[in-house]
Amino acid sequence: MIPKSVEEIAVGIKTMKIRGAGKIARAAAEALKKAAEEYTGPHNLASFKKYMVEAGKLLVSTRPTAVSLPNAVVYVLRRLRDALTLEEGRDLVIKAADEFIKTSEEAVKRISEYGARRIKEGSVILTHCHSTAAVEVIARAYREGRVVKVYSTETRPFLQGRITFAHLRRYGVPVVQIPDSAVRYVMHEVDYVVVGADTVTSNGAVVNKIGTSQVALAAKEARVRVYVAAESYKFSPMTLIGELVKIEYRDPEEIAPREWLNKHPGIRVLNPVFDVTPPEYIDAIVTEYGVLPPQAAILILIDKLGWTIESIRHSENIYENLEKLVE
Amino acid sequence: MKPHTLRLTGSELFFKVAEELIDVAKKGDPGRFVERVVELYREISSTRPASMASLNLLRAVASRLLERGFEGLVEFIEGLVKEYDSALQRAAEIAARRVVSGEKIMTTSNSLAVRRFLKSLVELGKKVELYVAESRPGREGLYLAEYAESLGIPTTLFVDSAARFFIKEVDKVFIGAEAIAANGAVVSKIGAGLISLVSKEARKRVFVIAPTMKFSYETIHGELLKLPEGGSKLLVDVESGESLPEGFVARVPLYEVIPPEYVDGIATEYGLIAPQAIPILLRNIYGTYPISVKPFDALISELHERYGRGA
Repeated sequence: MIPKSVEEIAVGIKTMKIRGAGKIARAAAEALKKAAEEYTGPHNLASFKKYMVEAGKLLVSTRPTAVSLPNAVVYVLRRLRDALTLEEGRDLVIKAADEFIKTSEEAVKRISEYGARRIKEGSVILTHCHSTAAVEVIARAYREGRVVKVYSTETRPFLQGRITFAHLRRYGVPVVQIPDSAVRYVMHEVDYVVVGADTVTSNGAVVNKIGTSQVALAAKEARVRVYVAAESYKFSPMTLIGELVKIEYRDPEEIAPREWLNKHPGIRVLNPVFDVTPPEYIDAIVTEYGVLPPQAAILILIDKLGWTIESIRHSENIYENLEKLVE
Repeated sequence: MKPHTLRLTGSELFFKVAEELIDVAKKGDPGRFVERVVELYREISSTRPASMASLNLLRAVASRLLERGFEGLVEFIEGLVKEYDSALQRAAEIAARRVVSGEKIMTTSNSLAVRRFLKSLVELGKKVELYVAESRPGREGLYLAEYAESLGIPTTLFVDSAARFFIKEVDKVFIGAEAIAANGAVVSKIGAGLISLVSKEARKRVFVIAPTMKFSYETIHGELLKLPEGGSKLLVDVESGESLPEGFVARVPLYEVIPPEYVDGIATEYGLIAPQAIPILLRNIYGTYPISVKPFDALISELHERYGRGA
C-alpha cells in the first residue's frame, strides 16, 4: 500500500542514513509528497486520507524523539482538512510539503544571519555533534571575518564530529577536532559555544546530542556564551501539556563491538542519545523568527507554529491520533 | 575492540621505571646507570611531564646516588617500590572505607589506584555498582570495566559525553591522579575535570586516590605542571579502518587539571585529607615547609660531575 519510495525514506531515517533534525523533517515532508504523488488506491478522499495518515504514522514511528519529524508531518497533513476531493487533497499535500521544505531551508539561512551577528571579532567557537544550523551560523560568521578557530567535538559513539569537521572545512573554516572528554580543557580558550537542537521544550530546555548539557555546563563555568541554533519546527508542542521528551537508548554496539559485549555479560553498555540542557545554561536560542531567550520558547509554539493551547488540549497526543488532524 | 593506544597509568609507569632502574643498577656500572637515569628523566619529562610518581622516583634515586653512592642502590630502589606499593594500597583502602554498601560509584580511565580501590571494596564485603566512562582517546575505561566485571562488580559503561546524564544515578566519584600540585589541584586523565564539574553541579562527592609520591614539589615554587597533548592519530580507530575527513586536524589533550574546590578529599597513605591541606600533610611528614628539592637539572650536572658523562 505504502509506496517503496516512501518506505525507503522511512528506513533511511530509522537507520540514521538520513540524520539531523532538519534533514529528517524535510525528508518526511518529501516522503509525504511522494506518497501523495504515487497514490494508487481507491479514487475517493476518505481512502486517500486514511492512506496519508498511515504514511504519516510510519514516518513518525521511525524516530520517536525527533520532534521535527512529527512537526513536519502535522504541518503537511493538517492541510487535508480543507480538501473536498481527492485531487484537491493530493494538491494540498504536495503544496504543503514543498512549502515546508522551502521554509525550512530558508530557516537555516535566516538563523545563520541572526546567529552570526552575535559572534564578535576574533572569536573561537566550540560546537558539539553535527548541526547544519550551527555550522551555517559559524560559517557565516567566518565569512564575515570574525571567527579564528573552531573546536569540534568528535561526538562518540557515532562520530558526527567528523561530518562537522568536513562540513566546516568545505567552507574553509579552520577547525580542530577534540575528543568529547576535552571540552572543559579547551573551554577557557573559547568565546562561544554554538550547538544545534534536537528538540526545544516549552520551558526552554534543549534536548540535543548526548554531551551537549555538559558542554553547556563547562561553558557556564568558564563564562562562555551558549547559543542554540534551532528552527521553529524543533519546538515540541507536546511538552506544553506536560509530556516528557523520551530519551532514546541506541544499540550498545555503537560503543563496543558485539564480540566484546558477548564476552562481557557483566558489563552493561548504555548508549543514551540525547541529554537535556536546562534553559539557565543557554544564553539564547536563535530561530528563523529571531534570537530569543530559551524561556520564551512558548512564543514560538503558540505564535509561530500555530498550536493553540486549545488544539493541544483537545488532542491528547496528536502524533498518535493523526486521523483527527485530517478530519 | 581494544583501546588502540594503551598508555601506562601513572603507577604502572612508576613500577616499570623502577624495574628498569633495578635492572641497570644490577649491572654494576655507575656511569651507565647515571646515563639511564638522565635518559629516563628526559623521556618522561617530555612524554609524561605530569607523571609525578616516576619523576619523584628518579629524583629520589639521583639524590641517594649523590648522597650515599652506588652501593646499596638496588636495595634502595626495591625499598621505594615496596613503599610505593603499600602507599598505593593503603590509599585505596582508605578510599574504600568512604563507600557505603549499596552505593553507586562513577569513575573514568583505568587507574591502578582505582583498581586497588575496587578490590578493597570487594574484600571489605561492600556491594557497589560501578559506572565507568569510556575515556577517549585511549578508551581505557573498557579495561577498567573488564577488571570490575572480573571482581563481580555490576558495571555500566558509557561514552564520556554521558557523564552528566548518569551522574544523577551515582552516589560518589573516585578517580586516580597523575600529579597533585601545591595548591591542591589534581592532574588526572582528560575528562576527569569535566566529571568533577558535573559532580559538583549534581552535589556528588569527588575523591581522588593518590599516594603522596604523586605530589609535585616543583609547584611549591610556582612551577607549572606541563600537560602533554597528542595529535589526530590518537583519535583514529585503526581497526575500523575509518577514513578521516580531508585535512583532519585534532588536538588531543591527555591530562587535565581538576581545581581543588571540585575535590572533596584526597585519599593518601596518610589518610583522607582536603586537597588544600596537602602542604600541611607534607610539612608533618618532612618536618619542614616548603620542602626544598633540588631541580633535576642541578642533580644531573652533579651526577655528571661525579660519574662522568658515561662511556
